[in-house]
Amino acid sequence: MYQLLRKLAHWIDARAGVSATLWPMMRHPVPRSIDGPMGWWYVFGSASMTFLLIQILTGIGLSMVYVPAADQAYESLLYLDYQQPWGWFLRSLHYYAGSGMVVMLLVHMTQVFLQGSYKYPRELTWVVGVLLLACTMGMFFTGQILRWDTDAYWGLAVGASMAGRVPVLGPEIVHTLLGGDIIGASSLSRFFALHVFIIPGALLTFLGIHLWLVLRCGISAPPKPGEIVDPKTYDATYHEELKRGVPFFGDALLKDIFFSALAVTIVVVIAAVVGPKGPTEPPDPTLAGANPRPEWPFLWLFGLLSLSPPAIETFIMLVFPVLVLGALFFVPFVSNRGERAPSRRPAAVLLVIVIYTTLGVLTYEGVQAPWSPVMDAWSGDPVPVNLVEGRTPLELQGAAVFQFKNCRNCHALEGIGGRRGPDLTTIGASLTRDQLITQISNGTPGGGNMPAYGKQMSPAEMEATVAFLISLRPDGQLPAGAVEDAPVEGTTPQPVELTE
Amino acid sequence: MVACAAFVGCNDDFPGKPNPADRPLPQNEITDFATLFAQNCTGCHGADGELGPAPPLNDPLFLALIPDETLHAVIRDGRPGTPMPAFAAERGGTLSTEQVKIIAAGLKSHWPADKTEEVSDAAIVADAPPYLSSATILQLTPGATDQASTLFERACAECHSPNGAGGETGYASGGAINDRAFLALISDQALRRIIITGRHDLGMPNYAAPDGRPEDFKPLTSAEIDELVALLASWRRGDAAAGDAGK
Ligand code: HEC
Ligand code: HEC
Ligand code: HEC
Repeated sequence: MYQLLRKLAHWIDARAGVSATLWPMMRHPVPRSIDGPMGWWYVFGSASMTFLLIQILTGIGLSMVYVPAADQAYESLLYLDYQQPWGWFLRSLHYYAGSGMVVMLLVHMTQVFLQGSYKYPRELTWVVGVLLLACTMGMFFTGQILRWDTDAYWGLAVGASMAGRVPVLGPEIVHTLLGGDIIGASSLSRFFALHVFIIPGALLTFLGIHLWLVLRCGISAPPKPGEIVDPKTYDATYHEELKRGVPFFGDALLKDIFFSALAVTIVVVIAAVVGPKGPTEPPDPTLAGANPRPEWPFLWLFGLLSLSPPAIETFIMLVFPVLVLGALFFVPFVSNRGERAPSRRPAAVLLVIVIYTTLGVLTYEGVQAPWSPVMDAWSGDPVPVNLVEGRTPLELQGAAVFQFKNCRNCHALEGIGGRRGPDLTTIGASLTRDQLITQISNGTPGGGNMPAYGKQMSPAEMEATVAFLISLRPDGQLPAGAVEDAPVEGTTPQPVELTE
Repeated sequence: MVACAAFVGCNDDFPGKPNPADRPLPQNEITDFATLFAQNCTGCHGADGELGPAPPLNDPLFLALIPDETLHAVIRDGRPGTPMPAFAAERGGTLSTEQVKIIAAGLKSHWPADKTEEVSDAAIVADAPPYLSSATILQLTPGATDQASTLFERACAECHSPNGAGGETGYASGGAINDRAFLALISDQALRRIIITGRHDLGMPNYAAPDGRPEDFKPLTSAEIDELVALLASWRRGDAAAGDAGK
């Protein structure tokens, strides 16, 4: 039997030339120092690939149960979660391995950037790598849509409004993406196709090219300060280095395997302990009070959006992602020669620190931002008790109006509430009655950040709201514009401490 | 094989395995009173149904007095002209008919009775004037205005000052209640209710409590409350005569 199989294999090989092609690839040497501790820097790319493999396997498993139809998708996820044995684990693993893949990709790219591995002759490898990142983000985005819950619906709405802002072609793109002008039954099918065929196809193609380029250009040696990359001499030097190289199938591969196994173990444990993500409530555009959140890789964009005035929203939504991708593409063309060692490239190190800090802060902002697309859902948070006690009846009504008119969606009181506008806990100390009325009636001039309420509020409502806002001041502080000892206008109570 | 079976057997024990009980509910399927109340009412009525800007709901006297249908109707239809929104979906709100019922029923049973310190006296509840006024039109005849002003003087002026302008004359300080903007935003029904139940969370006494009132103060009757509400309503309209009547 064994003999027979061997013969068959030989027969095929003789015709297909598999081993003739693969053998040299498997035995390709890598620079000697990768055998040492520096070699641990090189494990992240292969870990991303391992996660990709898990994604493919779990994805196939999920696709056997998932029904990409708008009226059944949600139910089929519930079935996976609660009925199908291990279905929940499959979902969980698919989610966390996907997250792991993004993390590994980012670490991999950061390492390549910091160690200058993208420089000559590996510029193209980098560019294809950026495409791989884009595909992976695309997978994350489309995957979240397939969950078809409130979050998915929101993601889609934002995605569509992003696409819709593209000049000229916008409506056309939206129509193609959603399979109609609005989010509907065919939208899900479109995203299913994207998630399962189109993007994975692109991803695997780019991955093939990426790997080919890696083999073709060889793995860069760990950088040494003072070793300059010069396209004229690099090839020869590298060639020399490889002569003293070690086979990839050796220590380097063991490191890869070890690290991937570790990463996978961690992800499996997380998946088993934390469990699958969502689905949250089923999507229903008519329901108010939903507080949807995008997936974590997009939180920073969400944070940026929630912080920025709507006037530049289009810019952020459209131009910004293109700029970021473009900037990544151009990295190797800005500098493809010179020093590689991070210790000699302080600007690069600083850039990485700045970028990650910014992303971190924005992500935090995105987590915090209680920004909800449903503007006529007031925020149900109670008015802090100490802003209620000691108010006059008029001010109390003002507080109720404040809640009723959804001011809280954008304005926090004592840190609780929306954050598009400033926290108003002490606004009475800084704005006068007239300024308050102007601000509320006119909103942000030119129509923007704050809507104009002049036409939406009765004079009594305005009066009450302003009285409430004037009363919001730190203990003992006079209203803005009031003169010491002058009788305080209106019905503002003096805190008890002052009158006793 | 055995290991495999054991593994599958433990399937239930993984902390990550979703529990059907935690399954997220669509907004309109939530049936838990506490959740519904927290999501919809605490913004104005306070985290625990008191100490919010709107009249407290966590108030045994109020809950004992308000008829079930009225309670249900207020939540369903809101109080037009006041900040109290309509909640029923068919009135433009966000709650299903079922949910409105759950909230209305839950309000009456949710807060255990041990908070009743001030009204623990069952007699206070028993003798309380009805929540709804029996008078159909609250209109003050010129003669009655003086009578109402006198009543106001006795029952309210110590805290809200004689003409309702508010002040710190008494030991408890109530703010202005003659402010026309304030009166424009509060319904007569809410005024009546406040006079009956007071605002125990903010220190306003109920219809019978002697705080800030003369020695010989007698609990207010339903008719007297009608008069007081009519007086406040006349301030709302800005009737010059009535407005000055209290001076
Ligand atoms: C859509 C979000 C949004 C809503 C809703 C909103 N605001 Fe604003 N508000 C803002 C923003 C943003 C600013 C910052 C100033 C600007 O851009 O005009 C602001 C500024 C203010 C200011 C001045 C703050 C300062 O420090 O100068 C006041 C007062 C104010 N809003 C009151 C209100 C009231 C009262 C309501 C409800 C009737 C309300 N806002 C509703 C977004 C909002
Ligand atoms: C935006 C603020 C706001 C919200 C939110 C709100 N209320 Fe009210 N509510 C008010 C105000 C103000 C009044 C007094 C209205 C009046 O003047 O009659 C009131 C009155 C009431 C009354 C009648 C009380 C009385 O004294 O007669 C009931 C009952 C009530 N609300 C229940 C609820 C319930 C239940 C919810 C949540 C489902 C809720 N409210 C949410 C502001 C609010
Ligand atoms: C012991 C003092 C005291 C007395 C007596 C009193 N009040 Fe009050 N009242 C208060 C306090 C305290 C508040 C809470 C708001 C504030 O601090 O102004 C209040 C609030 C009110 C409110 C507004 C409630 C709201 O939720 O906006 C009305 C209306 C009112 N009182 C009417 C009356 C009337 C009418 C009388 C006479 C029957 C009366 N009060 C007697 C202390 C008093």
